[in-house]
Amino acid sequence: MTWDPAASDALHARALAFVRAFEAGDAMPEPFDALAVDLARFQAGSVAGYGRLCEAHGAPPLGFRTASDAPAVPTEAFKLSRIATFPESLAHVTFRTSGTTLGARGSHAMRTVATYDAAAVAFGRRALTLGTPPLRTPCPVLMLAPSPLEAPDSSLSHMMQCFACAFGGGAPRETDYFIRDGVLELAMLDARVSEAIVRRQSVLVLGTSFAFVHLLDAVGDAGFRLPAGSRVMQTGGFKGRTREVEPAPLRSDLARAFGLDPRAIVGEYGMTELSSQFYEGTVESVSAEPGVYLEPPWARVVPVHPESLARVADGEDGIARIEDLMNVDSAFAVLTADRVRRRGAGFELLGRWPGAPPRGCSIAVEEMLGVQPKAPVTR
Amino acid sequence: MRRLLAAARLVARDLAIVAPLVESTGLSREGVVLALARYLELDPSDEDLASLVTRAVPSSRVHVILSANVFTAALRALAVAWASSEHVTVRPSRRDPVFTRALVRALDDDRLVVEESMDVADVEEGEIHVYGRDDTMDSVRRAARPAVVVRGHGAGMGVAFVGRADERDGAVRAIADDVVVFDQRGCLSPRVVIVEGGSPRALDIAESLSARLSTLERAVPRGTLSDDERRASGRYVETMSFAGQVLRGSAHAVAVGDAATPVVVPPTGRHVHVLAVRQPDEARRWLAPVARSIVAVGCNDEASGRSVAGGAEHVRLSRLGWMQRPPLDGPVDLR
Repeated sequence: MTWDPAASDALHARALAFVRAFEAGDAMPEPFDALAVDLARFQAGSVAGYGRLCEAHGAPPLGFRTASDAPAVPTEAFKLSRIATFPESLAHVTFRTSGTTLGARGSHAMRTVATYDAAAVAFGRRALTLGTPPLRTPCPVLMLAPSPLEAPDSSLSHMMQCFACAFGGGAPRETDYFIRDGVLELAMLDARVSEAIVRRQSVLVLGTSFAFVHLLDAVGDAGFRLPAGSRVMQTGGFKGRTREVEPAPLRSDLARAFGLDPRAIVGEYGMTELSSQFYEGTVESVSAEPGVYLEPPWARVVPVHPESLARVADGEDGIARIEDLMNVDSAFAVLTADRVRRRGAGFELLGRWPGAPPRGCSIAVEEMLGVQPKAPVTR
Repeated sequence: MRRLLAAARLVARDLAIVAPLVESTGLSREGVVLALARYLELDPSDEDLASLVTRAVPSSRVHVILSANVFTAALRALAVAWASSEHVTVRPSRRDPVFTRALVRALDDDRLVVEESMDVADVEEGEIHVYGRDDTMDSVRRAARPAVVVRGHGAGMGVAFVGRADERDGAVRAIADDVVVFDQRGCLSPRVVIVEGGSPRALDIAESLSARLSTLERAVPRGTLSDDERRASGRYVETMSFAGQVLRGSAHAVAVGDAATPVVVPPTGRHVHVLAVRQPDEARRWLAPVARSIVAVGCNDEASGRSVAGGAEHVRLSRLGWMQRPPLDGPVDLR
């Protein structure tokens, strides 16, 4: 395998051009498929495992014509292999998935976070700050997550830090994070919100479903009003760490507790293995349906048949194959275990694929993990 | 006990049962015939039976719940219950009741009866022996009355260990036999093969195993896989095509992995994960996260087998090729 820094740099530049065009409201600089094919060829030449996967599919990279020609890398492979086009010594950061009882954590190394950061902020800005009236920035960004100091390998904490820098007007302080050692610091959060109310400042609250469920349990019927015009981004499943709440009731519970319009509660979907994120469009558009996630122009969520891996018809359930042009140095196409369905301009998240109990007494991997197929994975 | 075994022999000889078993188990006709002919414990030694009886805890009444097992397991489950009590009721698996019903019918004894609608909450005394997955056992324990003892026998998996002294072809033939029967759906079925030595030896054994599985596929075709099994198969093959090397046949996959990765357990349906280790201790360390689920270790060298099993007493040790034929001396998983 060869490491070609010039080729990587050039691909990063082309990926960033998508982001710049999006921010400027311009047409995309080139067709999605053109960059996708070049990324897949680059990765097949630089990542041994991807070369083998292409070979197993009988898909020589030189024959790729569209993004869909390139095989997708299963998320499980991130737990078993280093998936990077560059030498380990050049890694600037390595994000890791949550651990499991089998001890496997997926990892996603990046030699630069510039592309990730630019894409995250550009699409996050549209999903979280637009609307009528728009969220005035800079504003306080309050994060119901551990800080990057506490969780240096969490891509979610990193993304939130980017948002705090971009929408909060500067680098966040440790006191902007309200999960410490796994505990929600509700009194500190209350103090910060009160401060914002006095100053008539809207706030942006970012957190995991897990943290929000704890907050709701803690405040009970008392509520926890946020300043008018505030926005809330909630992401991720529960993984058995707390009581489960379905997305729609969670949205209405949060809206009631925070004293906000339910449309101000925006769901985000992302994962460690990706560099792009997806959002519900409820802030951006009054006609957007809750539960329907939108893609940036540099990423696609394609429902595929779980066995054939062929795209299913719009409206049918499939496994999410995610094509992410920002994943320059890892895997442009990722095969998740999440069930999705195209709906309108976006897609719905339907949880994990429901499994029937297997025949016989041979143990299922899910049983070893002590998990049932439920919520989508988070990072 | 002898009468129960005689009844099992009658059932095993009854060709009329093969077609319903094909339907209920998903195995091929040849797979059912093979299981009945070679993997039903019809001739236990006196020592084994004595051991089975010694292990049994006397009880006024035993209620057996079979929810997820290979079909032949009903004989052992009923033998264990029969050794505990003269009054046994059994609720067969809803999905796979054929063999259990036939066995009870052949025994024709009022003291061992099928009770399809057994309600755990109605059981007033004695023991419940439940065979199934963790969630099934949990729900039975929750529903059972305090005076009733619940003994659970859960799902599991097997591991085969090929020592340095093992000759390749003999080991491969034996492992392939252990894999093929029940299409690997048994809790003793080997799903991981650990090879002592270097990666080239592991690859050599994987290639040989893949070839042998192809040969056996002609004699004992794999049965039908469920949608979930096919999905899991595809996922495993995709993942290992990236993270290792996959040798595929028309109805099997053998993947070569690496002991440096976290533990990998392939799906059932004739999927085998092969890796190399320098010594048995390294195998035990790699398997540590799934140690609780391992109920069988196949190995031709007992000391190495014990090392791989990490001293766990519930693990059945056997020679390669005998993993699916444990003596009828107690519950299959010894738990």
